[in-house]
Amino acid sequence: MTRTNRNFVIAYALLVALPVAGLLGVLRYGSSLQAPVSVDGVWEVQSDRSPFAALLCGQSFATAEDLAITISQSGKGFSLDLANGFRTKAAGVIEGNTLSASLSPPAVRSSAAGCETGRVLQLTASVDPKAEPKTLAGVLSVADCSACVPVEFRAIRPAPARKRGPH
Amino acid sequence: MLNLFTLVLQIAVILAVCRLTGSLFRKMHQPRVVGEMFAGILLGPSLLGWIAPQFSAYLFPQSSLGFLNALSQVGVVIFMFLVGLGINPKELKKQGHAAILTSHVSITAPFVLAAFLSLYLYPRLSDDSVAFASFALFMGASMSITAFPVLARILAERDMLGSRLGTLAVACAAVDDVTGWCILAYIVVLIRAAHATTSIWVTLGGIVIFALVMIYGVRRLLQGYETVYRRTNGLSENMLAFMLLLVLASALCTEWLGIHLLFGSFLMGAIMPKEPKFVRYILDRFETITVTLLLPLFFAFTGLRTNIGLVKGQEMWMYSGLIILVAVLGKLGGSMVASWLSGMPLREAAGLGTLMNTRGLMELVILNIGLDIKVISPALFSMMVMMALVTTFMTTPVLELICPDKMIRATMPVEAMQPVSVEGLDLEARPGSAA
Repeated sequence: MTRTNRNFVIAYALLVALPVAGLLGVLRYGSSLQAPVSVDGVWEVQSDRSPFAALLCGQSFATAEDLAITISQSGKGFSLDLANGFRTKAAGVIEGNTLSASLSPPAVRSSAAGCETGRVLQLTASVDPKAEPKTLAGVLSVADCSACVPVEFRAIRPAPARKRGPH
Repeated sequence: MLNLFTLVLQIAVILAVCRLTGSLFRKMHQPRVVGEMFAGILLGPSLLGWIAPQFSAYLFPQSSLGFLNALSQVGVVIFMFLVGLGINPKELKKQGHAAILTSHVSITAPFVLAAFLSLYLYPRLSDDSVAFASFALFMGASMSITAFPVLARILAERDMLGSRLGTLAVACAAVDDVTGWCILAYIVVLIRAAHATTSIWVTLGGIVIFALVMIYGVRRLLQGYETVYRRTNGLSENMLAFMLLLVLASALCTEWLGIHLLFGSFLMGAIMPKEPKFVRYILDRFETITVTLLLPLFFAFTGLRTNIGLVKGQEMWMYSGLIILVAVLGKLGGSMVASWLSGMPLREAAGLGTLMNTRGLMELVILNIGLDIKVISPALFSMMVMMALVTTFMTTPVLELICPDKMIRATMPVEAMQPVSVEGLDLEARPGSAA
């Protein structure tokens, strides 16, 4: 082996082979890491929606034909879109299996009496990571309103359809 | 339902904004494509949707985006065919050990650094529906890519294609792209297999068989194109239409096999005959409509998916900074060290690293695939798009700083002072071509 070739082999081993070995180590170590629970997708609200009518600023949820919560997740943060005719949007965070989000004006828009600007709806829910399809159970409440009764809800995220074809 | 008025209006606005922004960037000595990438961001929620949400919702209603996406994907399918067409594996062989070491290090360095970064980002920006291995491999593949066409454009604009630096950069970028796409194909198969009814081994077996048929069977048949071109100095419309059909058929095969449309079109381009005049002829036929009409739609669609508003708070901006730092360190640093160790002078080696750090449109293509298969989240997608823009934007000024024209010309043989082309990618003659 010439000197040039030997140098090439040494450089290749140090700069290519060694990092690739390191990559395998990283993949092995990383498999034990825990990422936030997945909540991304469309959640269909299953529970009786009539109690929403009694909730301050929540009347629109009771009248919506198909109440769905669309969540777009980025790690621990998520944005939430309540397809309730008002396209109420909010941002929230995930801690463990618990989601919390604040729906604040101007996102919350309702012509109902008492729902003035400044009111904040609080969504708190927990996801069951083992259930299939995944379920979300929580409450929707009005912040800073001791007289307001929180409304419980339950939503499910249908499992993704399996692809056809050879894959 | 398709609203033709909305779609045509969208196309008109996108074309106008892309041309305008592209021209502005040309005045800043940047390739037009960088301006067009920025134009996409301007039209999305990061700017238009932020300052004029009602107009944005009118111009780009959610229901219309499917059509825009379909059109843009057709453009990217043809573009990837042209990218594959411009790549010639023989270029690497001519360069010897230096090119082999540099190209391989320019893949492994950013790849491994990205995997290390993934240890930090995975618990913060991903979720448990994505396996760590998929996340880390995707991050690695997306950071190790080099935008071969943008790089060729920059080299051509600076008359550097014939220089030692230019030829080495083109050869390394070609290897990077092919390797990056192979790794990405593997990741897509892994992720899609998780939701599929068929074993991953059947899928992988199918892909290997398809690749072998293409490389050892179809490639020989494609030589017929070159033979006809030599004989008649051109190809009939029927032959060109059949070539497009082959591209689409190959794309459909890879999509059906569970990878992605783009792999098929790229492979078809890669196995086409590489005679420079023939390549130039094909590029002339397909490039204009793809680059001037369809790719801007892709930039706009990417911009509509990019929401820099998701990157909020110190923590998120720190993640973005880390991503850019690791991308630059891995690609620029890795290529520079490897080429310097191979005997290249330090400044030239730094110039090579800078060129290899150009990610451009190829990065956007990969990121869109990542978002589609949900291996990266919307916030991470936006951060990575920013990284693609920054690394592409920085190339020209940094290169000018490190390797001034005088220095490059001193390393060029006299015959290389004439305008040259990379396997027909005669880019300097085409101000709007080859993104």
